[in-house]
Amino acid sequence: MWVKKMYLSVLCVFAFVKGYTQETEIDTTKVTEIDEVILTATRTARQLSSLPLPVTLVSKKKIIQSGTIRLNEILNEQTGIITVADQSGFEGVQIQGIASDYILILIDGVPLVGRSAGNFDVSRLTVGNIKQIEVVKGPSSSLYGSEALGGVINIITSAPETEKLSGNASYRIGSFTQQDINLDIKQRIKSFRYGIFANRFSSEGYDLNPETEGQTVNPFENYTLNARIYNDFSENLSLFASARYYNQNQDAGFIVNDTRFEGDSKEEEWNAHLRFDHNWSKNLTLAYELYYTNYTAAEKLADPISDDVLTDSDFDQRLFRPEVRSTYTFKNSSKLTTGFGFQYDQLDRTFFDEQVDFSSQYAYAQYDINVINPLNVIVGARFDNHSEYSNQFSPKLALRYKITNTLAAKASIGYGFKAPDFRQLYFDFTNSAVGYTVLGYNVAIDKLRELQDQGQILDIVVPESDLEDPLEAESSVGYNIGLTYKKQNWNTEVNFFRNDFKNLIDTRIIARKTNGQNVFSYFNFDKIYTTGLETNISYEFNKNINISAGYQLLYAFDKTKEDAIDNGEVFARDPQTNETIEVSKSDYFGLVNRSRHNANFKIFYDIPSVKANINVRLLYRSKYALFDTNGNGLIDDYDTSFVDGFVTTNVAASKTFCKNFNLQIGANNLFDYTDTLIPTLPGIQFFTKINYQF
Amino acid sequence: MKKVILLLTAISIAFTSCSSDDDNDTPQAVYFTISDLSLSKGTVGSEVTITGTGFPNSSDDITVSFNDVQAVITSINTTTIVSSVPANATTGEVTVKYDTKTINAGMFTILDPLVENKVENLPAPQTGGQGTGQAIGGVFTKFDFETGAVTTSETDWDIAFRGTTIAVNGGEVTGTADEPARNGNAGAAIVTGTFASATSAEGLTFNQDASTTFAIPTGSDNGWYNYNFMTNIISPIPGKVLVFRTRNGNYAKIEILSYYLNEDTSQSGRNYTFNYVYNPNDGETVLE
Repeated sequence: MWVKKMYLSVLCVFAFVKGYTQETEIDTTKVTEIDEVILTATRTARQLSSLPLPVTLVSKKKIIQSGTIRLNEILNEQTGIITVADQSGFEGVQIQGIASDYILILIDGVPLVGRSAGNFDVSRLTVGNIKQIEVVKGPSSSLYGSEALGGVINIITSAPETEKLSGNASYRIGSFTQQDINLDIKQRIKSFRYGIFANRFSSEGYDLNPETEGQTVNPFENYTLNARIYNDFSENLSLFASARYYNQNQDAGFIVNDTRFEGDSKEEEWNAHLRFDHNWSKNLTLAYELYYTNYTAAEKLADPISDDVLTDSDFDQRLFRPEVRSTYTFKNSSKLTTGFGFQYDQLDRTFFDEQVDFSSQYAYAQYDINVINPLNVIVGARFDNHSEYSNQFSPKLALRYKITNTLAAKASIGYGFKAPDFRQLYFDFTNSAVGYTVLGYNVAIDKLRELQDQGQILDIVVPESDLEDPLEAESSVGYNIGLTYKKQNWNTEVNFFRNDFKNLIDTRIIARKTNGQNVFSYFNFDKIYTTGLETNISYEFNKNINISAGYQLLYAFDKTKEDAIDNGEVFARDPQTNETIEVSKSDYFGLVNRSRHNANFKIFYDIPSVKANINVRLLYRSKYALFDTNGNGLIDDYDTSFVDGFVTTNVAASKTFCKNFNLQIGANNLFDYTDTLIPTLPGIQFFTKINYQF
Repeated sequence: MKKVILLLTAISIAFTSCSSDDDNDTPQAVYFTISDLSLSKGTVGSEVTITGTGFPNSSDDITVSFNDVQAVITSINTTTIVSSVPANATTGEVTVKYDTKTINAGMFTILDPLVENKVENLPAPQTGGQGTGQAIGGVFTKFDFETGAVTTSETDWDIAFRGTTIAVNGGEVTGTADEPARNGNAGAAIVTGTFASATSAEGLTFNQDASTTFAIPTGSDNGWYNYNFMTNIISPIPGKVLVFRTRNGNYAKIEILSYYLNEDTSQSGRNYTFNYVYNPNDGETVLE
């Protein structure tokens, strides 16, 4: 059915093209903030300052001036967004204290796949051809479905505008032989436009623990290629097509019992995105979208002498998604956006018996209206029908009230969910060193029987009926309420947030094995919440000096753990005597990897007279804990895995000369702060970059 | 008239006899009673409260003895006497002597004091297992609460350690290699709380080793420890107190503090450090 629709769609629209047109103005020097347009929040072009939702926008200008090259670096400099490595060692983004598992990453509005233990490694993405980064905080499942609990990060690539061939070529070299090469070409030929982008990024890695064998980060090199075409068939019908390819190769090594296993890990990603935008009538625009992505990762480690293989793992995930969207603009300029689509997910990986797949159908609608002049209301909902778990209905309501011309209040409430992932449903993994087994929920009963037949099971500790009802999707309700104040050179906002999660999926013992170890499977049980406030203040002394400061206060706790503490069931060990003591509520620090305070302070200074600019960015993160060290399953003041609070200082300066050349020098982590507990933070990194604009 | 005289006489006699009683200087026994002895057994130093009536307000004229050994009275009023069990007391009658009168308050059994100790770096080696691909084996390290020491005796042991596994000298052999024969009546129970909060073994269900299972369940998060897959560290679960019935029917509790040498997780494992409290009195469940 959808195929037919898609075929019909070859006829069709325009809303997005319009969006791009407006965006491109941002790059010109005449831009004012009024023109900042956001697509992610409503799936229509909306002025940033008019949105009733908490949104962060990072412009190309800021990205370039900061001298960042990968997405993680620039996101990490935004208030309330941090990149952290969790217990698995993989890095992901945290927003409002919500882990990477629950944050959806989009590129030009379509989702990226390929997560490691739930984390999406955003350093996979180069910022070389990014127009802007849009971050919508709080649940957005009403538009985007699964995974959009904590927020949505949408990377908008830049589209060609000018008739003449334009673009840039750059080379950057930095500490650890970090090299970044970019080539970006864009051109418009009448109604046809194209863009070609290529990036190569490599590093020799670094080592924070020279006394131990192996490096903290091993050498790697990666390539990103992206080709896009745009064609306006008529005023009313245009085409956007994009193909993206990413490939990374990284050395890998692991030492087990004095044997050094060597090999490499490879990642590969394909994205193919096709969209027709169609102005059906003056009031109705339609978009027909077809998207396919494939992410593969493989790692093989072997003893170079004996050829003994330590690990040989594969991961191959595909997603296919056609979607049709429409936006109808009423006479009173209110907008009704609707969409429906179909999504097919497939995963084949080591520790799965067989290739598994999901399919889901969904439909959503959103109505955006200025009820009375100062009051904007967005109401929306989405319905997802999924093959593997119960249907989801995700509503959302957002309001913005303009109190005065400079002051506005906004509030939103929304529902978000994350479907149980393939691993939680189909995993079949037995640790060869220790002997425990982890089984996906859907295969648990069958696998348990197999183990039983092999005489490996001592007893089953949960009733089998517990394993019969389907696993529920993890879900959250998010509340955001805030004020914005914007007058002349001041821009201030404050936002209070609260996210209540339920049905979080975690492992639980389902059986005991005769070897004394356990069989784990996944269950819904945890309830957590994150709450706090975020504030941003920026001030422009004049056109050329911009000072900004941001702060996030965060409390993130597990409700079931809080109850256990109230009941006197949680214990810790006195670090001096190792004796048991009862943990009190004030000893409970909260969830792992959460810092109570995050702050940033930035100065950007343009010196037009010499075509130069300089900037300093300070980022602060207060202490946080990595994992429970005293065996009570939560982080308390007696744990010893706390990472001290720290400040990193990044500076960059650039100057344009000979009209088209730009030289940038800078240093990240200027004061060389390192901590062996933060493997993702290398010491000071100098860099210099030469860019040729044509 | 005659009747009146008789009556007066009778009254005057009555008064006279009264006053003659009051003036009598010969000692006469005081009147006091004892209704309760707060403890019937305890260790030296235990505080014992005697309740009754007619006690003096001062301890000057009154003595409390435990089997003829005089105890110190720490407080007294007309209805209660508080004293503590004296150092050389032996099992026998508690007596209260006030003036010349002595009353038996009841039998009091003197208990041996609880043994409280810390065992450091008890080695619990193991062969095989844990990724070596070989079957688990190796001799258990046996511990005897009565002597408070490691022993190689085949019979005089209560609990035994090998790797993370703890065996008790009660029940049946589990079937693992190199395990000791069970010839006592030991058992184990796991109690949740601080070490101090486990005050008694009363009412606990004691499990024994049996074919394929240990009284203290093995595996991470099942019994006394959990294993962190990331750090590869074995941590004793805080708030788990292991209460044992010994092979002879005495009771003891232990709190494992560390599985590593010198309580340092960077050093070698299979070295237990634990606090224990042992009640040497047969069948006594008190553990504080």
